[in-house]
Amino acid sequence: MTGYIIRRLFQLLPVLLISSVGIWAMIYAVPGTPVGAIVGENGTQEQIQAAIERLGLDQPVLVQFWSWFRGAILGDFGFSTQSRQPVLDIIVQRIPATVQLGTFAILIGLILGIPVAVISAVYPGSWIDRSLSGWSALALGVPTFWLGILLILLFSVHLNWLPSASGYVSFWENPLLAIRNTFLPALTLGVYVSGIFARFLRASLLSELKADYVRTARSKGLKERDVIGRHVLRNALLPFVTVVGLMAAAFIGGTVVTEAVFTYPGIGRLLIQAISTRDYPLIQGVILFILVVHVLINLLVDVLYAYIDPRIDYS
Amino acid sequence: MNDGMRRTLGFARRVFRRKGALLSVLFLATVTFVAVFARWIVPYDPIGQDLISALEPPSARHWFGADELGRDIMSRVIYGARTSLLTAAGAVTIAALVGVPIGLVAGFFGGWRDAILMRIVDVLLSLPGILFAMALIAVLGRSQLAALVAVGITGIPSFARITRAQVLSLRKRDFVMAVEALGGSSTYNMFTTVLPNSWSPILVQVVILSSVAILLEAALAFLGVGIPPPTPSWGEMLRTGKSYLYEAPYYAVLPGIVLTLTILSLDTLGRTLALVLEDRHEVAEEEAEPDRSAA
Repeated sequence: MTGYIIRRLFQLLPVLLISSVGIWAMIYAVPGTPVGAIVGENGTQEQIQAAIERLGLDQPVLVQFWSWFRGAILGDFGFSTQSRQPVLDIIVQRIPATVQLGTFAILIGLILGIPVAVISAVYPGSWIDRSLSGWSALALGVPTFWLGILLILLFSVHLNWLPSASGYVSFWENPLLAIRNTFLPALTLGVYVSGIFARFLRASLLSELKADYVRTARSKGLKERDVIGRHVLRNALLPFVTVVGLMAAAFIGGTVVTEAVFTYPGIGRLLIQAISTRDYPLIQGVILFILVVHVLINLLVDVLYAYIDPRIDYS
Repeated sequence: MNDGMRRTLGFARRVFRRKGALLSVLFLATVTFVAVFARWIVPYDPIGQDLISALEPPSARHWFGADELGRDIMSRVIYGARTSLLTAAGAVTIAALVGVPIGLVAGFFGGWRDAILMRIVDVLLSLPGILFAMALIAVLGRSQLAALVAVGITGIPSFARITRAQVLSLRKRDFVMAVEALGGSSTYNMFTTVLPNSWSPILVQVVILSSVAILLEAALAFLGVGIPPPTPSWGEMLRTGKSYLYEAPYYAVLPGIVLTLTILSLDTLGRTLALVLEDRHEVAEEEAEPDRSAA
């Protein structure tokens, strides 16, 4: 197992290295000078001097990359050109909001998706299966930013139940207010993932239902409810864990659009703000952060899967 | 009627037998027609301002209402179709022109070429598509070309993977081995033997990726980093419309309906094509779900 994890980590190295070179090179590719990109338009003379030293522009390119890369590994992404705060601090502040939204969204996705999958797998080809498949197609096809707008129109403009712009309130400090603020963006994302969950789990249930042990369970007289609930669902949920994990990885950085709809102060919105103010150190930091989290969670999901399913041979 | 035509007709009949696919094609044909002949169809100039009728609700004069500058929303939706379809066409072309050869070479030769090419594809996949596109636009600046290229690059991995999977399944087939044994060069073999037999999954991918490209373009515009105004774009209209949800709810709703129907139609068509082609065993087992996690 340890060997497997180490080997997987080594496979990641080239991907991480090439991506970091790309992110590092951004500064050099933007119009204008790299120093300008790092200190922003109204940097002081001192800041410009500091940036020149930081970039090491008089050094060979490889040295320049190495000093940036070493800093990045140690969590030093430089300073935001807007707020002059360390980039890492700004990112860290946003993590709880994004994690909370992602968690709520996945919960809603599971609540909506699992029943849909189970019902349509139990009656495959029936009208109820067909209409539930229609639901999945719709959930996946409707752009989340438009769904978000429709939800705002219904719950905020029309019914006046929920705020149209969501702030971040920690669930642990004020659960009710937190749910009130996070519900609409979480529902928007939740509907979307419920489509993915339902589609995947349905396929996985259908293939399990063909297995021999199902026939055995039925022939020994088990009620259909127990066959599904106790045997089939448990086995089908195993590969399903992977999908849930992958969506969790995507939500760390992938809620950009939904956060924009609800002006929710998460990591995605930070990236949009950084891009619109051309705050390149911040852009680099956020993208590198999302990249690393994305890649690591993907790895974690693989490892977890190998761990919970002993049938997987990871040698 | 020759054999090829008969096969194509039979194929079309099998696709159109499914009601969803038929409706989708009809809708997409309408959108395409309207986009191509936009200039003669639109009732108003899509960027012509008329401040007196600003935020006018839908009426006989303005079927979809008027926006905050009094521009006719229906005319803008029609021109927006043009933006969407052009971006999708350009992006999918870029993705296919780069991705298909990558998959072809990686699958055909295997070995170190496969390892290097697929690592590059992995890099593209290490970020969700929309973030990759945003990073690229942050560097290139905001323009129609940047949006098109950014969306195109995010589509490369799908084409590379699908083509590679298909090539791998063809590689050891008798007719490919025969060309090799007869002394056909690898290039000749790849392009005249393997590629023509890989069209089916690539075609499915073209349709599915068009829907992803339209969604991504709209998402970028919605975030304010897509095609710059005043060029009409569905995503940009939703972005602005969102600010007038109280005064003019139709503003953000109507363009959204057209956008959603377009995406759903392309999706349905892609799935039906995949099903029909699968019946004919022309599509390799591996079917990649498009990445739209962010949008």
